[in-house]
Amino acid sequence: MNVLEVRGYSLDYATATGFVRALDSIDLAIARGEVLGLVGESGSGKTSLAWAIMRHLPPRAREQGSISLAGQSPMTATEAEIAAIRGRRIGMVFQDPSTSLNPTLTLGQQLAEVLQRHRKLTRRQAWAEGEAMMARVGLKQPANMMRRYPHEASGGEKQRVVIASAFACQPECILFDEPTTALDVVTARQILDLFAELQAETSVASLYISHDLALVSRVADHVAVLHRGKLVEQGEVDAVFDAPREDYTRRLLAAVPRPDHRLVSGKPAAGIEPLVEVERLSVHYGRTPFLSALVGRRTAQVAGNREVSLSVRPGEILGIVGESGSGKSTLARALTGLNRFEGAVRFGGRRIAGRRDMDRAYRRDVQIVFQHPDSSLNPRQRVREILSRPLTLYGGEARIEALLEQVRLPATYVERFPHQLSGGEKQRVAIARAFASCPKLVICDEITSSLDVSVQAAVVELLVDLQRRNGTAYLFITHDLNLVRQLAHRIAVMYRGELVELLDIDDLSTTGPRHPYTRELLDAVPPPREYKS
Amino acid sequence: MSPSYLVKRLALIVYTLFVVSLVVFAITQVLPADAAVMLLGENATPDALAAIRDKLGLDQPVWVQYGHWLWGVLQGDFGTSLRTGQPVAPVMLEALGRSLTLAVLAIALMLVLALPLGIIAALRRGKLADLVVSIVSYVGVSLPEFVTATLIVLVLADWLKLLPATGFVPLTENLWDGLAHLALPVLTVSVILVAHVSRMVRSELVDVLHTDYVRAARLKGLSRRSVLFHHALRNALLPTITIVALDVGYLLGGVIVVEEIFALPGIGRNLIVAIQARDLPSIQAGALIMAATYSVVNFLADLAYAWIDKRIQYG
Repeated sequence: MNVLEVRGYSLDYATATGFVRALDSIDLAIARGEVLGLVGESGSGKTSLAWAIMRHLPPRAREQGSISLAGQSPMTATEAEIAAIRGRRIGMVFQDPSTSLNPTLTLGQQLAEVLQRHRKLTRRQAWAEGEAMMARVGLKQPANMMRRYPHEASGGEKQRVVIASAFACQPECILFDEPTTALDVVTARQILDLFAELQAETSVASLYISHDLALVSRVADHVAVLHRGKLVEQGEVDAVFDAPREDYTRRLLAAVPRPDHRLVSGKPAAGIEPLVEVERLSVHYGRTPFLSALVGRRTAQVAGNREVSLSVRPGEILGIVGESGSGKSTLARALTGLNRFEGAVRFGGRRIAGRRDMDRAYRRDVQIVFQHPDSSLNPRQRVREILSRPLTLYGGEARIEALLEQVRLPATYVERFPHQLSGGEKQRVAIARAFASCPKLVICDEITSSLDVSVQAAVVELLVDLQRRNGTAYLFITHDLNLVRQLAHRIAVMYRGELVELLDIDDLSTTGPRHPYTRELLDAVPPPREYKS
Repeated sequence: MSPSYLVKRLALIVYTLFVVSLVVFAITQVLPADAAVMLLGENATPDALAAIRDKLGLDQPVWVQYGHWLWGVLQGDFGTSLRTGQPVAPVMLEALGRSLTLAVLAIALMLVLALPLGIIAALRRGKLADLVVSIVSYVGVSLPEFVTATLIVLVLADWLKLLPATGFVPLTENLWDGLAHLALPVLTVSVILVAHVSRMVRSELVDVLHTDYVRAARLKGLSRRSVLFHHALRNALLPTITIVALDVGYLLGGVIVVEEIFALPGIGRNLIVAIQARDLPSIQAGALIMAATYSVVNFLADLAYAWIDKRIQYG
């Protein structure tokens, strides 16, 4: 018998201009011990479905069809009955453990409260049971972890606590809403292993929601593809991946980055002078507070970068990978003059010893595109104003319309505000702004990580095209190893502020990585499975 | 929170007070007043003026005068009033006591009223209760104190004859009578405090209720009540602590109008009288005592902050 069953379920939201359909005749079922992967891009309705199952819908939602949990319908349950089901019979694991845990309560309190609520344990019993749960999800020193606050634990540890509270009352069904998206690749891999282990042990029915097809193919038995509120394809993982029936599924599969599918041909000319040479560049964070300076005490500084040396040739794409906090963005910020640094940068033969040497010519030649276009584009400026700024600053020949055309946006967009554009379009505007001054080096700092796979594929293709036409060199910072292996000529691996390895892309496939950390990174992200197109 | 932090913060308070003392002393020096003339009157003979200047050390360089004054202050002696000839410190401390009584009662009343109002408005967002709370608080914030005070006197003292309109009776002398005399000024300042703190609590709570962790708590099956009291409120109340600490400053020095209307001899009113009389020692003592109280209250607010939100670490 199916634990969770959704039949003919449609969901509309009432808006000022009428109803907006979020989900359209959804049919799906999950049996005991089974994992259903629900794949879809942002706005496809995957989270709406999760809220519908959890009965967490706004008052303006209108529903049709049925949802049943072990034969009973939570749709007709009262608020008290729903509260008794949540956490007890359906658990949920959220995307980002840094926001789904209350910062002012200890991890132990947040785990024990579920046990007190649903299993009617006393405070002391719940605490002991919570400690046992923490040990079970692989947290070392569980007693100590119970007393810690969220800010005193790492992302992976916090997500383990969230998983522990989802499994705490042995629910029949658990919803996983992108549980690894906010984590580093290595940590994400460990969380996935934990998931597989607990799944096998408890034979819970799991709905695993993700935008990452490659990941879903590894964790799920069945997969359902959601597109604009409709389930376009559903079936066993092998069947869907080997023989996708729908166009949309095929497009999604094609957009997944594959390391063996190189997007860049050829190599930058060898033997010529490098464009940029970074020589023993170090960045330190943290200033001595005024009072400590008064009493003559020096506080420990945090090294963001430790003596990083590398070079980029004209027209070369140098990928930089590493986990969060490894110093990738710190390096990008130092090279654009946003961070104070020690050491030197040699750019086109000129020595840049500090931020003061970064004159107008340097700034014209070195541009940066940031991760979140929402915060890097001024929300009160139209696209015209955003793009005219670099043109007046650096006196480029290009016209705004030509810049837009270069990033494949219609010229009519000049009068639009950022909020009137989609995420991918906003990032294209940010790219157009970086290219307005005809730079020689563009630093791309995780520029596709907030985008859907299909949008990411289009943005990456655009970057490759721009590189081919303008001969621009890129410093391409990312945590996506498969993506960087498609793009980069060389890959720099950073770990705790240091550059641990600099690999030629050809050596990666022939001789393999030398540094253990690089190997760990590569092992954490196996290349996506092949599919027949 | 490390012991060394506490020491550092206390040192910073001392340093602040030192700077305040410098500024206050400098300002009283440039005030157009001659202490000797103030003491003896316009018709004093030059000889008498010279004698008293010599006695008070007024003919010495400014920094020597400052040194004398500071040395006295460190021993608890703020000098004698030029107006009354009495020692300044006891008078000012007594006035501070009255002001603090007003402040503590007003803040207590404010918390009792503003927290529930803000919580109700946040929970019933967009509903009638929210609208009523926000209109009332708009009116409360925008009415000047003398209007609120006059209205309250009119209704409670004049028409209903429930409470005395003016005057002050120490609480130690007669608790009920004392509270009755304090009731109207406390009500007046509370109107303003309640208005802006309830708005603050409302907007903070609305934000917190939309966070992921509150949703996560609901989806763990916790009841609305337990999510509100256990998860949401402690985060929503943090900024309120800062507001309360700032309000103490307002209640000490900013409620002169209220003190004047109700003939409540608080520290603000005492300071005004001292300034009008060019009573330099009183001005200096009053300003310094107010600054000290304000610093200590803010220090306590910081401690409360760190106690509630463990992410805040002072080192």
